[in-house]
Amino acid sequence: MNRSIPFEIFRYAAILLALAVTLIPTLWMASMAFKPIAEWSATGGDLTWWPKAPTLDNFRFIFGTSTSDLIVALDRTAGKPILSSLLSAVFGTIIAMVCGTSAAYGLSRFGSGQNLPLALIQLRLFPPMAVMIPVMIMWAFFGLVDTWWGLALIYGIVTLPFAFWLMKTFFDDMPREIEDAALVEGCSRMRVFMKITLPMMRPALASSALFVFILNWSDYLIALLLTTREWVTIPVYMASLSSSMTGQLYGAKAALGLIAAVPPVIMGIAIQKHLVRGLTFGALKQ
Amino acid sequence: MNALVTEEKIPLAHDLASTSPRAEDGGRRLGFLLTLPAQILVLFIAVFPLLMQLYISLTDWSPLDGVSWWQAYGSWNSFANYTDLMGDTRFWNALGRTALVMAICVPAEFLLGLGLAILFMDDFAGKRVFYSIMLIPMMVVPAVAGYMFFMLFQSGGPINDILSTLTGQPITLAWLSNPTTAMIAVMIADIWQWTPLMFLILLAGLVGVPEDQVKAATLLGASWWQRFRTIVLPKMKTIIIIALAIRVIENFKIFDTLYIMTGGGPGVATETISVYIYKVTQNDLIWGYVAAIALVILIVLSIVVSLAISRMNRKEA
Repeated sequence: MNRSIPFEIFRYAAILLALAVTLIPTLWMASMAFKPIAEWSATGGDLTWWPKAPTLDNFRFIFGTSTSDLIVALDRTAGKPILSSLLSAVFGTIIAMVCGTSAAYGLSRFGSGQNLPLALIQLRLFPPMAVMIPVMIMWAFFGLVDTWWGLALIYGIVTLPFAFWLMKTFFDDMPREIEDAALVEGCSRMRVFMKITLPMMRPALASSALFVFILNWSDYLIALLLTTREWVTIPVYMASLSSSMTGQLYGAKAALGLIAAVPPVIMGIAIQKHLVRGLTFGALKQ
Repeated sequence: MNALVTEEKIPLAHDLASTSPRAEDGGRRLGFLLTLPAQILVLFIAVFPLLMQLYISLTDWSPLDGVSWWQAYGSWNSFANYTDLMGDTRFWNALGRTALVMAICVPAEFLLGLGLAILFMDDFAGKRVFYSIMLIPMMVVPAVAGYMFFMLFQSGGPINDILSTLTGQPITLAWLSNPTTAMIAVMIADIWQWTPLMFLILLAGLVGVPEDQVKAATLLGASWWQRFRTIVLPKMKTIIIIALAIRVIENFKIFDTLYIMTGGGPGVATETISVYIYKVTQNDLIWGYVAAIALVILIVLSIVVSLAISRMNRKEA
């Protein structure tokens, strides 16, 4: 809108400031992950912005390889929490995508399940904290507490609204001529859905699935309530990396945080074209 | 919110279904089958749990009682939980703090996001890269973001280091141990993480404003502010409402970053409603009472939301 030199200078100055604010917290953690224990805190008065003696000790430590500096013994390594996060997020995504996609198609094409759009928005609206008591009781009843499959089930339900709304907008946008042609050719409706619609929707399915995966992977509260020991996820496990005896294991936590943060950031940037659609329940398609 | 969403969309599904020949015969059956799994999940998570919650909320049941939840009538207390809630100052304070966080964070995120979005409206060198970097905070796992800010706000941490350099005197403020600064710190973390979401949505809205109208106004001599106020803002109204609604709803749930940074402390200084419920659930284990709190919140939220939706529907009409 505006094209004067002072404005351009202002623009770059403002954007560079915003970029710095955006990046510093993340970079601080990344830098911390590679710092040896001596550089973790500024006890000497000198703050280490960039590791002076970069090391992989923090990563070795959380995976159970003892290192010279960190003599504390971990009673369990980060391996299983990472596996738990992965399994619950992946299977939660599968549940949400299968149920969400089929329901979205049913509504978009055949007008079935008129109650779903509003019901699912409401599901998203309420703080998870406010419905967790019955969920905890039910999960205990079915023996789902502290299992990755129990987490996957609740993740699938919690992210179902996103999968449903995203896929619904994609189906609404899709031209129907090809489906109609196949129907005239004598294909059954189920076959049209499986063999024609879904393959055509592959890019939409992929970005919706990634979006849902990021949401599942990001959970903390639900895992905090529904896992206790065997299948805790990364964020819950992270808290165990400090104790009254050892204090905060800054570097170890940062290393684990980095492992948790990198996948969703990469995925998010990969699907940035569809982020607006996902975040606004398809109200904005950009 | 639903009203907004459907308004943006082309025809509603049932309009299409009634006119389309494919809705007849097998279509209905397949549609029913396809929507069945989602319907079952909704029933499984909404209807039955809510009834259970209502039942438990009328008792003093705790998982430590040694009886199953359906035997909770043993500790039936009628509406004692609800009357207790009225006099529970810790609950009301937590609710007040949640409102305070919302009242500061959401407008701050909106204004910062809008400002940035305006800067990103036209092309300039590096725009695509900058845009991608801007989005990073909202993709960072919130619990990890909480840990990042926990480190940043340590008394020997980088924030104090930067402040010391700027002011020229050593600052060793223990941010998270002081009630006021702890509150500021958790708000900064929230603003850091969610300004990008506002930026993303508002930029999408700004880009969608028809360019020819803006150009015409420019030719007629309208200043930048006039164009923004009379052409761009009215076109953005729906989008702004959506963006604010999303943040208000999500901000009300604030838990992850805050809980990791302060655990609701020092004392209860940063205890928001989700943190309060979590603590009563996990530490005090009085689930009958938690069920009552949760139910009250659900009912109040439902009323607020349906009022908002009907108000918006009336305005549209």
